[in-house]
Amino acid sequence: MMLIILLGIPLMAAVLIALARHRVRMEIAHTVAALGTLGMGIVVASLVWRFDGSPSSPSGALVALGGLLRVDALSALMVIIIALLDAITALYALGYMRADADGADPRRLRQFFALFHLFIFTMLLAVTTDNVGVLWIAVEGTTLATVFLVNLHNTRTSLEAAYKYLIISSVGIAMAFIGTALVYYAGAPKAGEVAMSWTALRAAAPTLSPQIMRLAFAFILIGYGTKAGLAPMHTWLPDAHSEAPAPISALMSGVLLNVGLYALMRFKTVTDLAVGPAFAARWLVGIGVLSLAVAAVFLLTQRHYKRMLAYSSVEHVGMICLGLGFGAYGGALGALLHVINHALSKSMLFLLSGNILLKYHTNDMNEVSGLLRASPWTGGAFLAGTLALVGLPPFGPFLSEFIILRAGLESPSAWAAFVGMGLLVIVFAGMMGRVNRMLYGRPPESMARGDVLTWPLAPLAVNFLLLIGLGLTLPPALLRVLNQALKVLGV
Amino acid sequence: MFLRIFPNLINLLSFITLATTVLLIVRGNLTAQVRVFALQSGVLAILAAVVAVSADSMNLLGVALVVALVKGWIIPSVLRRAVTKIGLHDWVAPYLSASAALVVVGLLVGIAFYVMGPVVAADARPTAKAIPLALAGVLNGFFVTVYRRRALTQILGFLMLENSIFLLVMLATYGVPFIVEMGIFLDVLVAVLISEVFIYRIKENFDSIDVDHLGALKG
Repeated sequence: MMLIILLGIPLMAAVLIALARHRVRMEIAHTVAALGTLGMGIVVASLVWRFDGSPSSPSGALVALGGLLRVDALSALMVIIIALLDAITALYALGYMRADADGADPRRLRQFFALFHLFIFTMLLAVTTDNVGVLWIAVEGTTLATVFLVNLHNTRTSLEAAYKYLIISSVGIAMAFIGTALVYYAGAPKAGEVAMSWTALRAAAPTLSPQIMRLAFAFILIGYGTKAGLAPMHTWLPDAHSEAPAPISALMSGVLLNVGLYALMRFKTVTDLAVGPAFAARWLVGIGVLSLAVAAVFLLTQRHYKRMLAYSSVEHVGMICLGLGFGAYGGALGALLHVINHALSKSMLFLLSGNILLKYHTNDMNEVSGLLRASPWTGGAFLAGTLALVGLPPFGPFLSEFIILRAGLESPSAWAAFVGMGLLVIVFAGMMGRVNRMLYGRPPESMARGDVLTWPLAPLAVNFLLLIGLGLTLPPALLRVLNQALKVLGV
Repeated sequence: MFLRIFPNLINLLSFITLATTVLLIVRGNLTAQVRVFALQSGVLAILAAVVAVSADSMNLLGVALVVALVKGWIIPSVLRRAVTKIGLHDWVAPYLSASAALVVVGLLVGIAFYVMGPVVAADARPTAKAIPLALAGVLNGFFVTVYRRRALTQILGFLMLENSIFLLVMLATYGVPFIVEMGIFLDVLVAVLISEVFIYRIKENFDSIDVDHLGALKG
């Protein structure tokens, strides 16, 4: 029941907003839905996490619709990330759509708010379903829900970005369906119709044909890897993430990429049990290093600040992929922790990029200067977010990258940890140099002082405090939750 | 009698499906390409119906009907409407000549048999021998999507890719669970409707649907 309410809120909101006539009604439905989703997300996650896997409370998974929906500790973690960033982004979006020129058009406003919640619904469905077929449908649904959002401003460049996004993501995700069908093919003789259930697949995994599972995982990696923005399938990402309106960029980079990674994690678990852990690990490490390398090269020469943030996302999903590839307890723990840290820091920076765009009316870094003087709050937060993103203490990403790389040094692919460290240094130099030039110097003469949007930035305090908290300690409660999620993944 | 001709019938229909994909690569005319797609969907609907009879499954019969309705009729009508609206006068050459493209097609078919042959060799099901044909269709659909320059042909390539995946699933596992199958149809239909809007927007902005115009975003 809880799960149905959780999924029902954003879906209902999308319908109500699509039918609403007045701006105020849309805004009310939007805000209530976002806060309601957060509330339900917290309820669902705490119900699941109450159980610790001990004999007295073996499994806390919530099940609904005859097993079609199933939330275990890993799903609950994803639900919390989606719901939290949904609320933060939604509050910012209220202010952003009032300040943005396109927000004046009621048709476009309706489209924005309705698709926003449809997007949240598809992501929540993807992480709460136990059926790998429905998972695929929901992930393709995320593309379909966001493609018009990328093209919201209806410029030539956003049209190009949205079209490429639609075609590349759909073709990519079609590969994931072949993988899913092959897994079903491998599982059907053992489990029949239920072979589309992840839980059944996991139980039957040791008996699945290794030959088919290897082929299936290759397709899955290409497919969901496209959605996660891993190189070399990342080409749509910088376009779509930079052309979308700031709140959507924040959700796409902070949350949607994680949904792709989540699907990869689920299939990796089954594949590892069928063919042994070395097979998937080799691929994940290779693709992780490649993603870091591609991101480092493009970050060095980037002139467009939203594209810079987008390439930084390629870097961070590469890092998470490395963590999964290094495997063992440390690698997987670091990967999950990095999922959280990246979501918090990247969504913060993309929301701030909305403020910068509204203030300077340009995407070009060379035309943005004196940000700290022109918009002190935006500038200060942008600096803090960038420091977190490049992996400096005392912010969370420092700790999670440290855990991943240390796990790498103890793994068979220690070379990848060394290469990764080198690439992180390049990323650091590339990003800090460019952001410095945006922050300092003189703002343009004619520009008035002050932040464009101030109160919509208030929720970012949550991101900031969590990032600092996660950088200083690993709270025992969080560690317990992560351990539960890792147990689901069989680590 | 039916059991004896069943594997041959399946092989024949799978082969026709692959052949229609190749036909799409060779044809340059958009209206003809849409017709080829509708034909392919019709063949798949028949195949699903044949499998349904042999497996004695009502669900599969339903799936066959939906294929005929959505992919054989609704989607081709949507595409035909788009073709009429934008006009057909701008003939755009593909990146490769037809003969070069056919060589690639041959290669892809070879790859499909090389990869899938060993996997299906151990499978005793009557439909298993046609699985490599389905994978060949998938690879060719993928090829059309990347090698054609017109937005509409790219979308047709994607749809053919989708059809071949449907064929693959039909042959390998007699389809996926009913609810998943319906969800996929919904996704595909919405994707086509969205791409129709994009074709109009591209045409409006660039006065052509040659995707080479879409090259402003780099680096």
